[in-house]
Amino acid sequence: MIFLRRQLPLLITFVTGLLFATQYYVPHPASERMLTEVTKWLQIIGGFALVLGVTSLFHLHAVKIRRKEPGWGYSFVLYAVMLGTIAVGLWVNGKETVNGTATAFGWIYSNVMVPLQGTMFAILAFFIASAAYRSFRARSREAAVLLLAAVVVMMGRVPLGEYLVPLSGDITQWILNVLNASVRRAIYIGVSLGAVALSLKIIFGIERAYLGGGKE
Amino acid sequence: MTFAERMLRIDRRIIFLLIGLSTLLPLLYPVGLAIKISPEVRGVHGYIESLPEGSVFLLSLDFDPASKPELYPQAVALLRHAFEKNLRVIGMTLWLPGTGMADQVITQVARERGKVNGKDYVFLGWSPGGSSVIINMGQDLYKAFPSDYYNQPTKELAALNGVRSLRDVNYVVSLAAGTTGIETWYVFGKDKYKFELGGGCTGVIAPGLYPLLRSGQINGLIGGLRGAAEYEVLIGQKGRAVAGMDAQSATHFAIIALVILCNVFYLFIRTSRGQTGQRS
Repeated sequence: MIFLRRQLPLLITFVTGLLFATQYYVPHPASERMLTEVTKWLQIIGGFALVLGVTSLFHLHAVKIRRKEPGWGYSFVLYAVMLGTIAVGLWVNGKETVNGTATAFGWIYSNVMVPLQGTMFAILAFFIASAAYRSFRARSREAAVLLLAAVVVMMGRVPLGEYLVPLSGDITQWILNVLNASVRRAIYIGVSLGAVALSLKIIFGIERAYLGGGKE
Repeated sequence: MTFAERMLRIDRRIIFLLIGLSTLLPLLYPVGLAIKISPEVRGVHGYIESLPEGSVFLLSLDFDPASKPELYPQAVALLRHAFEKNLRVIGMTLWLPGTGMADQVITQVARERGKVNGKDYVFLGWSPGGSSVIINMGQDLYKAFPSDYYNQPTKELAALNGVRSLRDVNYVVSLAAGTTGIETWYVFGKDKYKFELGGGCTGVIAPGLYPLLRSGQINGLIGGLRGAAEYEVLIGQKGRAVAGMDAQSATHFAIIALVILCNVFYLFIRTSRGQTGQRS
């Protein structure tokens, strides 16, 4: 049992990890065929992840409804809407439109999902303005620099700012292209080196958290 | 409580009202200030402009309805430009919730330009896997998408003649609201399959993509509603993005004014407290 739970997954990880790290540098047709096959498997596994996600969501909210936990009414609404949408979606074969005409599924998508998501995102503008008024203060020199940069970029990204202060557009471009890009690049290099180190640790079996806990 | 302290604790509904009015009034009474074109947007436009007729242009609409106000106008402008240049357009999405919207925008612009599905353009829809879909398309497009969104076998579509994988695509643009998006298209697509890549994104994630732009990993970037407005100006077809720029100008200035006011009150309080402390 230990072999199946520990050694076999470690062996599979080691072999496939090394194999596909090497595959990138080998353009031989056999190597490319192998990559084609494996990415197809990955796509299939991706499909299963969706099923897993939906099942887990159903389970979580079923428990809330059964126990009548605070806010269980929302879970009930979620259940009703999700089941309804799935039923309608299956009925029309998952198509939003047929011959240019919206199906019931397409109607739900265009008139419920699109406006709801748009509204959620739009509300952010109001909260950001309120939060900026309450907390964006020059408490230190660093905060003052950040504040100044934010004001310049906000001006430089809109026509009114460029109209009132013509230089704001060029300064914004410089901030984005030089200061922002160099700092972001440094962060990306750090994150990438970390990812390489973690990948090597997983391939060589040093990092085993993905195997999960449990008794051996 | 002093006046400055009271002002710092102002009811947030007043701020909401100010932002609401700053958005609404310019939409009702547009001013139409000139929009300056940035080199990032010119990069995408210039590349599409340079493609000969019949070239293959892949537009990946990697966003959901939450980002519709910023990315939908970008998609409309890019599609209008591509169809005007008589490019063969391949549409797809890596974001499941965006499938309906992606289909809608491609169908709408294609109909407007008199383009035929399967002949002039194709919409592949969505397939699970994110980065794996890109690799799979790079290896064999027909294995990644055996049929298009309308269940037509992709091998029989005239729009895909001579296209076996991503290596045969002339230009890819990913319109992204996060990951999976432009970075994924670069890492798993362009780096291996050697096509030219451009990007479009929401204003929030645009600064994070500048390193890719500066290093030439993407040849252009359309950032937010402003980027869409610049593209509309470039193709000479002003639409929703240009219309929204006045509202964005007013909202930005409202926020700048609020930030300046809050700092004036804050400094006033700090100074008066410092003076009180010195006296005692």
